[in-house]
Amino acid sequence: MAATSSLTSFSSSTSPFIGSKISTSLPCSAPPSRVSFRPCRVSAACASTAERPTSYIATPTSASSLYEVLGVQMGATCQEIKAAYRKLARILHPDVAANGQRKDTAYEFIRLHEAYETLSDPAKRADYDRTLYRRGRQMSSPFSMSAATATTMAAGYAAGGFSGYTRQRWETDQCCIDPQILTSWGSIAVVNS
Amino acid sequence: MAEQQYTVASDSETTGEEKSSSAFPEIAIGIDVGTSQCSVSVWNGSQVELLKNTRNQKLMRSYVTFKDEVPSGGVSNQLSHEYEILSGAAIFNMKRLIGRVDTDPVVHASKRLPFLVQTLDIGVRPFIAALVKNAWRSTTPEEVLAIFLVELRAMAEVQLKRPIRNVVLTIPVSFSRFQLTRIERACAMAGLHVLRLMPEPTAVALLYAQQQQQTIHENMGSGSEKNALIFNMGAGYCDVAVTATAGGVSQIKALAGAAIGGEDILQNMMQHLLPNSENLFLNHGINEIKSLGLLRVATEDAIHRLSSQSSVRVDVDLGNGSKICKVVTREEFEEANQKVFEKCESLITQCLRDSKVDIGDLTDVILVGGCSYIPKIRNVVKGVCKREELYEAINPLEAAVCGAALEGAVASGVSDPFGSLDLLTIQATPLGIGIRADGNSFVPIIPRNTTMPARKELLFTTIHDNQTEALILVYEGEGTQVEENHLLGYFKVVGIPAAPKGVPEINVCMDIDASNALRVFAGVVMQGTDQPMAPFLEVRLPTVDDGHGWCAEALNKTYGSTLDLVTVQKKM
Repeated sequence: MAATSSLTSFSSSTSPFIGSKISTSLPCSAPPSRVSFRPCRVSAACASTAERPTSYIATPTSASSLYEVLGVQMGATCQEIKAAYRKLARILHPDVAANGQRKDTAYEFIRLHEAYETLSDPAKRADYDRTLYRRGRQMSSPFSMSAATATTMAAGYAAGGFSGYTRQRWETDQCCIDPQILTSWGSIAVVNS
Repeated sequence: MAEQQYTVASDSETTGEEKSSSAFPEIAIGIDVGTSQCSVSVWNGSQVELLKNTRNQKLMRSYVTFKDEVPSGGVSNQLSHEYEILSGAAIFNMKRLIGRVDTDPVVHASKRLPFLVQTLDIGVRPFIAALVKNAWRSTTPEEVLAIFLVELRAMAEVQLKRPIRNVVLTIPVSFSRFQLTRIERACAMAGLHVLRLMPEPTAVALLYAQQQQQTIHENMGSGSEKNALIFNMGAGYCDVAVTATAGGVSQIKALAGAAIGGEDILQNMMQHLLPNSENLFLNHGINEIKSLGLLRVATEDAIHRLSSQSSVRVDVDLGNGSKICKVVTREEFEEANQKVFEKCESLITQCLRDSKVDIGDLTDVILVGGCSYIPKIRNVVKGVCKREELYEAINPLEAAVCGAALEGAVASGVSDPFGSLDLLTIQATPLGIGIRADGNSFVPIIPRNTTMPARKELLFTTIHDNQTEALILVYEGEGTQVEENHLLGYFKVVGIPAAPKGVPEINVCMDIDASNALRVFAGVVMQGTDQPMAPFLEVRLPTVDDGHGWCAEALNKTYGSTLDLVTVQKKM
């Protein structure tokens, strides 16, 4: 796709700056050269795995859900997600991918890992599921999930209410996963928070 | 002459492309150059095989002696006695010295070694020299390592009957990227191309992943996930990793490491046996070196015996009128090295915490490295991981090099009909990488333990009105302040449009590819457009050379707050 190829050409372009040192080319009238760190921007950038405008990271602009990246159903268990991640890693990881496509698979692997990281963490997954649902409803063009899962999601969301608290979100997940896993996830979430 | 011993390749050699695309891939060999011992292994088509030198040794001492006209290392050289290494003519422990500046405490601790380590404490590379015909002849850790690698390469070429070019080297977790470039440099000097630099415990993790997969094949069981903690402690470094393994895929969850090892234990015990010994030997006189050698050998022997005995007698005549005749108990040994053991414990705790793996979910705890024979180390590892048994099916001294050979075969594109090479290591970054921002703070862009390959970015803004330039200082490490971290390089973003402070947005993106090369992209971005204002900068790091201790200080002094001072200095 366009985004990926432009990125590739960008990173493989020869740069005159490699190994150069700035000291000699410094103009006398340069203002103090320092940058400061803007927390609000950063948190926004870090929190979302979704689209970022004017970014070097050209990954998820092709609209597909993290579930599709991993090739699993929305109701997949944690084990299924892990298994799917490993299976795809064995294809996409640059160490095992075919020679010529290394550059491309690196970004596909990064995308795969981001999807895995979000969906294997129960709290992040619940957050993601909500944004996915909300976006789907607002844009009236839901991601190409099956009608059945979309309905399940909607039902679960409604049952959970809109307060957005973790406890409710567990309930939304409950319809897709077995209670055993839910309990273990719950305990992990407590440790993490 | 040393020059005849190796061909020096160009600098670009270390940054070359992956591998040649011939029909029959050259299988990269695995090399584990330890602080004390070294080994080489290779995938022989059906399994990993350790290569032996002409004296039938699989584990060779890591040292290079300059006593003859042509320097020779522990691969080919026949030692008449251990003292030969300690005569001042041989350089060893190069893994503790490589890529370190003379303000580093590890370099300072190395001043107690028989060869010469001189420091000026200003952040440049230390002066290292070997005693040759009553004169100190200077060398560098890179040169010593290169000479040693040339010997290893020759040994492997003779045995495998083919030229060797590609290698996978194991490295300590705590190595900075600057140190990695020095290792690559040494390899290039020896005519070797580094396919991968693999943190030691991750090499062990790969071997474990292969073993687990084979067990599954035999039992026809399902490939359920196994978590393992790997603790590796050799003479120079201590490393910890937590890996999640299933179906031949080893996913590194977390890494932790420090420059602490058997050498520290040895120094502590020498100090225990002969208080003030460190000052005694600082002058490096011929007789003092001889005494130091005698003390070192006796102490080493005592430490080895203390692994099986509860107390040992040390009886040594240092030749300068002082004699040591002492009984050392295991309790004394453990007390003298309390800080070392505490550090080990904290590394394991940190690694477990970072991995988010519960102790109860650990399937196996694997202990490797020369220090794994020390009872206290075994107890510390068992204690923190709350278990009685350690994983036994692994040779503690050969595990890392075997893993490196597996990675060498996998990265060379070799496949095995029985699936023994259906392996993959998903690596994680051992140290955080970021830039200086917010005053003197280190702001990580790629945090520690991020899965590789990785690409992350952060937005920054100006702190002055109409600021048109910004200095990007890239650091690696864990400290919250930049001084606590390693400077990797620096460059300037120019062409920032004149605007009130806080308005322009500078995007700094960091990319690490699967072979661990780091690139930093930086540029000004404008809201609402996809087009950049000016061309972005793409910088491959590290760019700093030896005086990197100085660079940081000079930049700080120059750009700290006053601009005028800067330009005058720089224009000169």
